[in-house]
Amino acid sequence: MAGLQPYVDHRVLLILQDGRAIVGVMAGFDQKSNVVLSDTKERVYSMEEGVEEIPLGLYLVKGDQIVLIGELDEAADKAVDLSTIRAEPLPPIRY
Amino acid sequence: MLPLSLLNAAQNKPMLVELKNGETFNGHLVNCDNFMNITLREVYQTSAEGDRFWKLKECYIRGSTIKYLRVPDTLLDAVKEEQNRAREAGRSARGSHVSGTGARGRGAPPRGTPVVQSREVYI
Repeated sequence: MAGLQPYVDHRVLLILQDGRAIVGVMAGFDQKSNVVLSDTKERVYSMEEGVEEIPLGLYLVKGDQIVLIGELDEAADKAVDLSTIRAEPLPPIRY
Repeated sequence: MLPLSLLNAAQNKPMLVELKNGETFNGHLVNCDNFMNITLREVYQTSAEGDRFWKLKECYIRGSTIKYLRVPDTLLDAVKEEQNRAREAGRSARGSHVSGTGARGRGAPPRGTPVVQSREVYI
């Protein structure tokens, strides 16, 4: 099964249906794409100030809330100074 | 590691649960099942806007309404250790069986194995 296994123990970016962006190390997952993240941080984007990273610790996200999972290139990510980034936050999903 | 094994290990631990409607529940996990239905005790409920609070002695939350759970950091190492212990126990149990009988598996010999019946030669 081409699934989430390659992401395990890698730092990933999760986008949730409410528009939140969460980075963390994928510690595990199951058939419903429920995901365990460790060392989790939420990235809050705004146009007024730089990106704020809120530490969240150990997180269990339900699969049906997940829009996207992507592996984070840690070297490229560290090279970015988040405090200089201004961006509109993602809106929540609309049905 | 499976999300549900983490949840099972979180029994009696404090956790934060956010529902899809944005309400949050802070409490200690009493019980959970494979649908992620959970019961919490000594709960502080917060409205989605974060402006209203309720205290509940106990509450039941249907798994399908949950967005995410936040659990103590220490739980990850606890579960990993527990899994390692279980693996080791399984391995040593199987290992002793094999060395005890000296035979592996059961049933017929593999195909292509010549079935040699008595070829002893009596002189």
